[in-house]
Amino acid sequence: MSKSWMVWGTWLLLTLIAIFVVVMWMTVSGDRDLLLIGKTTDAHHQIEMACETCHAAGSFASTKAATKAINKSCRNCHDDELSKADDSHPRKKFRNPRMAAYWEKLDARLCTSCHIEHRPELTRESAVTVAMNFCIACHSEGDQDVRQIRPSHAGLTFDTCASSGCHNFHDNRSLYADFLVKHANDDWLAPSPIHQLSALYLARDQSSNRRLADFKAIAPASSLTDSTVVDDWAGSAHASSDINCGNCHAPGIADNQERLQVEANWVDDPDLGVCKDCHKNETRTFRQGRHGMRQHPKIANPRDTDRQLQQLGLDQLMPAFLKSWFSDPVHPLHMTVAEARLPMHKNASDQVLNCGTCHNPHAVDVRHAAVEACLGCHSDDHSVAYKDSRHYALWQAESSGDAAPGTGVSCATCHMAKVKRRGKITVSHNQNDTLRPNEKMIRPVCLDCHGLSFALDSLADESLIQRNFNGKPSVHVPSISWAVQREKEDEESDR
Amino acid sequence: MQILINKSVAFVVTMMTVFAVEAVAQGVSYQRVADMLYLVLSADRAVYTEKVVQRLTLDEQVIMVSEHFEDDAALPLPSQMFRFGSEYVADETEDFSYSLVSLDPINKKNGPGTDLEREGLEFVVDNPDEAFYGEEELGGQLYFAAVYADIAVAEACASCHNNHQDSPRDDLEVGDVMGGVIIRIPVE
Repeated sequence: MSKSWMVWGTWLLLTLIAIFVVVMWMTVSGDRDLLLIGKTTDAHHQIEMACETCHAAGSFASTKAATKAINKSCRNCHDDELSKADDSHPRKKFRNPRMAAYWEKLDARLCTSCHIEHRPELTRESAVTVAMNFCIACHSEGDQDVRQIRPSHAGLTFDTCASSGCHNFHDNRSLYADFLVKHANDDWLAPSPIHQLSALYLARDQSSNRRLADFKAIAPASSLTDSTVVDDWAGSAHASSDINCGNCHAPGIADNQERLQVEANWVDDPDLGVCKDCHKNETRTFRQGRHGMRQHPKIANPRDTDRQLQQLGLDQLMPAFLKSWFSDPVHPLHMTVAEARLPMHKNASDQVLNCGTCHNPHAVDVRHAAVEACLGCHSDDHSVAYKDSRHYALWQAESSGDAAPGTGVSCATCHMAKVKRRGKITVSHNQNDTLRPNEKMIRPVCLDCHGLSFALDSLADESLIQRNFNGKPSVHVPSISWAVQREKEDEESDR
Repeated sequence: MQILINKSVAFVVTMMTVFAVEAVAQGVSYQRVADMLYLVLSADRAVYTEKVVQRLTLDEQVIMVSEHFEDDAALPLPSQMFRFGSEYVADETEDFSYSLVSLDPINKKNGPGTDLEREGLEFVVDNPDEAFYGEEELGGQLYFAAVYADIAVAEACASCHNNHQDSPRDDLEVGDVMGGVIIRIPVE
């Protein structure tokens, strides 16, 4: 065989191997990191290996069908929070054909008009991938020209609309003019600052507790040797709510008081999925948030290489070592601290994010989950500064019984919103409910203790946020005074 | 309250969509379908205004009606109820759409957005007992469009519009045309 044929043969063989590897990565491999076309936005890196979640239209779908599928996947996860936010620019408003003239300016029917994935070079705050003066598209001409309708806006440029604490594209519940006027005379601090829903929630938690005797724990004798665990349980809300060992360690049995049934079905380390049977709302919101989004029911599970090979009829042909290579490593179903993009303590890297990470299932101490659990992992400036803040001092006073429930401010007060619905208070485990844009926090959190103007100014002061609100804001958002001025002028013109 | 509103709107929208698609398929003219849709819309709106809003806010005085109905734990304004239905339809189907528009809108986005809307609104202001019909192309699709007069049927309608900070008019009276309802059906 000539040298030339050897070279060509080797080239052909290597090319075929390369094509085979790429095709296998695309179609069967569990881990597809190498196929990522660009860094994903914000916390989406947690689900970036669940490609099918967004790219649901199939490999050979038209651009239109692929775009439609991607936008549907956005709505699958974010519709709920947009609906709660009373979205100012909902898709349904722009689907009416009378809005056709706007479709060419900025097509608000599609999330992807402003939020494109895998384009880090275009990505701005809140995962926006268009220029921040996007309001100009629809609010700068004719009857919609805001500089004409609002004299206070005459000299403004459009790049400040959504970056100054005045407006958001989606959530304006704390920013609309009548609300600003209503709260124009708020003091910076309420005379008796208490976060009402936290007070009610914590009072509920304490009043429902009644310590049981340790012997009430029904479990195999070998599992009752750790007196701390048993003692923690006996004093917990679980015990006083008749949740005995068998409810979690022997799930599915008919009677948690039947020792024989409990012993026969005992599981030492139950899947923490047992929590969801009782804590439905907490589980649902946990899966919508940054700690549990991989478990959201609309997110594709990690790809199973064996099943993919079976579907392609290759499972018998593929050697075991290749199967193993393509299926490993598959991203775990639960997020780990090591995968976080935010600064975290190195010694927490191995933590897996599930219910038990923050909640000791036996002690069920919500106060631990509200502060120490967070600070055990998070090490960014804002988190580290918390223990030097006035908010933490208030939390300590409350926790030691020197101040009333609801007077302290924990991490959870701001980032785990309490929700009252039909007389029942639950804790949303979706941090997005109050996180970004940060004005979302004003109504459910800040306004119980602070005035609107102080809250707006504080949340617009990035340096103050990093110092965990240790001090007073050095930024002033003028929206309240503008709204009040307009109200006055309107009243005067009516006279 | 919100769930009740959503469910009521969803039921009406589903029935209207089934009706509109079937009617056009059976060879009923676009004009006739639009007229019938308008009858349903205006009837529902009148029932909400009289049997819910007026009865509970004015007669029995048990609840307020408010533009910020969620903040104020109040009833939505009849025009908001109408718009919610319109948005619900837009979310569910492209088989037809409807809007509440005006030559003197409180919210500027509800002003005439196309030449046909302006022509139709001017026609119904002059001829409140008649509808305006026409065709226009929007976003590459041809639509049959019908415009019907939206009349201030109660003192509350006129006074609310007259006193609103963003209203360009303060002289509306009961019986005046405040705007129009426009229904569009894509022409196959």
